[in-house]
Amino acid sequence: MLRMLVILILLAPWPANASDKYAMIKTIVRDHILDGFNLLASETHVLKQAADANCSADSAELRAAWHQAFDAWISVSHLRFGPSETNDRAFALAFWPDPRGTTPRSLQSLIDDQDAIVNSLAEFSDVSIAARGFYALEFLLYDPRISTLGDATYRCKLVQIIAADIDANAHAILTDWIDSYAAELRDPGDIYRSEDEALQELFKALTAGLQFTSDTRLGRPMGSAERPRPKRAEAWRSGRSRHNVAVSLTALEDLAIMLSAPTPELSTLFATGFDKSLKKAAQLDDPVFANVATPVGRFRVEALQQSINDIRALAASDLGPTLGVAAGFNALDGD
Amino acid sequence: MVNRRGFLAGLLASGLVPVSTWADVGSPSFLAAARLPDDRFALCGIDAAGMILFHIPIPARGHAAAAHPVRAEAVAFARRPGTFASIINCASGEETARLASPKGRHFYGHGAFSSDGETLFTTENDYEAGQGRIGVWDATQGYARIAEFASGGIGPHEVRLLPDSDALVVANGGIDTHPDSGRTKLNLSTMHPNLSYLDFSGTLLDQVDLPDDLRSNSIRHLDVSHDGQVAIGMQWQRDRSSSPALVGLHNRGDAVDLMKAPLNLHRQAFGYVGSIAFSGNGKQLAVTCPRGGCVQVFDAVTCEFVGGHGSPDASGITGFGDGFIVSSGTGILRTIGEGDTMSVNHPLEWDNHLVRL
Repeated sequence: MLRMLVILILLAPWPANASDKYAMIKTIVRDHILDGFNLLASETHVLKQAADANCSADSAELRAAWHQAFDAWISVSHLRFGPSETNDRAFALAFWPDPRGTTPRSLQSLIDDQDAIVNSLAEFSDVSIAARGFYALEFLLYDPRISTLGDATYRCKLVQIIAADIDANAHAILTDWIDSYAAELRDPGDIYRSEDEALQELFKALTAGLQFTSDTRLGRPMGSAERPRPKRAEAWRSGRSRHNVAVSLTALEDLAIMLSAPTPELSTLFATGFDKSLKKAAQLDDPVFANVATPVGRFRVEALQQSINDIRALAASDLGPTLGVAAGFNALDGD
Repeated sequence: MVNRRGFLAGLLASGLVPVSTWADVGSPSFLAAARLPDDRFALCGIDAAGMILFHIPIPARGHAAAAHPVRAEAVAFARRPGTFASIINCASGEETARLASPKGRHFYGHGAFSSDGETLFTTENDYEAGQGRIGVWDATQGYARIAEFASGGIGPHEVRLLPDSDALVVANGGIDTHPDSGRTKLNLSTMHPNLSYLDFSGTLLDQVDLPDDLRSNSIRHLDVSHDGQVAIGMQWQRDRSSSPALVGLHNRGDAVDLMKAPLNLHRQAFGYVGSIAFSGNGKQLAVTCPRGGCVQVFDAVTCEFVGGHGSPDASGITGFGDGFIVSSGTGILRTIGEGDTMSVNHPLEWDNHLVRL
C-alpha cells in the first residue's frame, strides 16, 4: 500500500530544476566522492608507512592499516568512472574477482624470479595488475603459502612496493578529482553535457555497485545449490567477506539517500531497504560465507542477496525515472 | 486490423489458444522473443504486416533465433546464461523439440545453420575454462550434439554463416562470465574481443581485432551482406570520458572500417548497440540503441552517417525491403526507410532480436 502511494507520488514530474540538480551533484561530489577519496588517500598513506616500518606478514600494525585502507577503497569502489578508470587505476587497486587464479600465479612468478622490478615504483606500475593492489597484498599477508614463499627479504620488498603503488594510485585518483573531474561532473561540459547526464552517471554507479555486491560478492561463493563455492568468497583469507558486503552497502546507502533527496518518501524506502540488508548481513554468523555449503547457511545468504535485489528493483523502478534514465526492457538488458 | 490485434492480445493474455489452429494463417516472416503482459515469456512468429501468427511459451527469457534454410523450422535460444533452445515448426507454430546445452556449457543466445540446413552451430561458454565454444548439432538427426570447437576467443555472442561458403563468422565479445556470478563481467581489465572466421571443423581461417585503445569495445552483434561483408556492433565497457565508434564494417583481409554518428547523436547511443543489420537491398546498415532510444543508419559503402530515428527501447532490427524493420521493448514493430510505412503496436515487450525467416 505504502509502495503504491509512493509510486503515485513519483508519477508527478520531479520538481527539481537545473539549479536543484546542480546543488545535488555538488553535494554528492563534496560529501560522497571527495570525502571518500580523501579518506582512501590518507589511509593508503598510513598503509605505506606501516609497510615501510614493518613489512612482515604478521605485523599487527601493517595488517590493521591494510584493513583500514581496504575499507576506504570498498567505500569508493562503486565510483567506476573518470579518475579511477584512467590508466586502469581501479583495476590496479582491486583485481577481483580472479576466476583463473592470476593473482597468486603472478606473485609466485615475481618471487620465484626475484624480479628486480620491485625496486622501482615507476617500473612496478608495469607489473600485471593481478599482482598489484589490495587483493595481492592480502595473499602476501594472509595466504599460508604465498606469505612464506621464497626469500623473505624479497617478499618484504614486494609488500612495500605494493603498498607504495596502492598509495600512489589512490593519490593519483584524488588529485584528478580535485584538479579537474569534480568540476567536470558538476559543471556541464564536454564529458557531461547536462546535470541529467551527471546524475545518470551517479545512478549507474549506484546500480552497478548494488549489482556487484549481490551478484559477485554474494553470488560467487553461493555458486549453485548443487555446487556451492565458499572458497570463491571475496577476501576470505583475511576474514573480510561479509565485512566487505556491509561496507559497500553503507557507502551505497549514502549515495542512494543523496540521489533520492528531493523525494523524501523514496529516501525513506531506501533507508528501510538498506537497513534490512545491513541487519541481515550483521546477523549472518558467517564472516567468510563458509556456510553456503549447508542448506541453512545458503538460505540466509540467499535472503541477504534477495534483500539487496529488492533495493536494486527500487532503484530501477522509482529512482531511475526521476533522473531521466531509460528503464526499458532492452535498455536495461545489457546483452 | 485493430480488431484482429485486440483479439490476438486477448488470446495472448489468456493463454488459451491451441497453437495448431494457426497452421492456416500462412508462414511467418520474422521470429522474435517477447515478455507477455503477465510476465511470462514467449516466442512469436510474425508476418510481413507485423501481425503475430503464433506464440509459443518458453520457460525463461529468450534472445535470438536461427532460421532453417530449407525446412519451415527455426531454433530459438535462451538468453545467456540460458541452457535451452526450442526447435519450432514455423508452419504449425509448435515447439517440436527442446535442446539442452551440454554439461559445463551455456548458450549465449545465438546460432546459425549451414546453407544445406544439415548442421546447426551455437555459441556457447565453457565457463569453467572461461573459453568460447561453438557447439555443432546434427539437424538431420533430431539435433544430436555431434561436436564442438573453439570459437577463437572469450564470450562468443553472435555467429553467422558466410554466403557461398562453409564458413562461419563469430563475434567473440571478449567478456568472461560464469553463471555462478550471474551476468557479472569477470575480466574487464584484460578483455580483448575479436572477430573470428572459422570453417565447419573449427579451423581458424582469419581473425581481426580492433586497435589497442578499443580493446574494451566488446564486439557483440553481426550481420553479413550477400557479398560477405560483415557489419559489427559494439558495446563500450569503459566510462563515457571516451566514446569510440560502436559500428564497424569488415571485409576479410582488411582492417575494420569504423563509423560514427555526429558527436551529439553518437553519444545518444550511450556506448551500447543492441543489434545490427544490413538493409534489405544491402546499401545501408543500421544499429539499434536501446539505451538512447534510437536507430542510427549508415551508408554501407561510404560508412557515412545517413540519419537517426527516435525509437524508445528499440532493440531488434533486420533488413526489410529497401530499409529495415525494428522491434522495441515498447511493443512496437515499425519499418524504417522507404517511407516508414508500417507501425504496429503489440501489448507485449519485444526482446533483443528480430530474426528474418
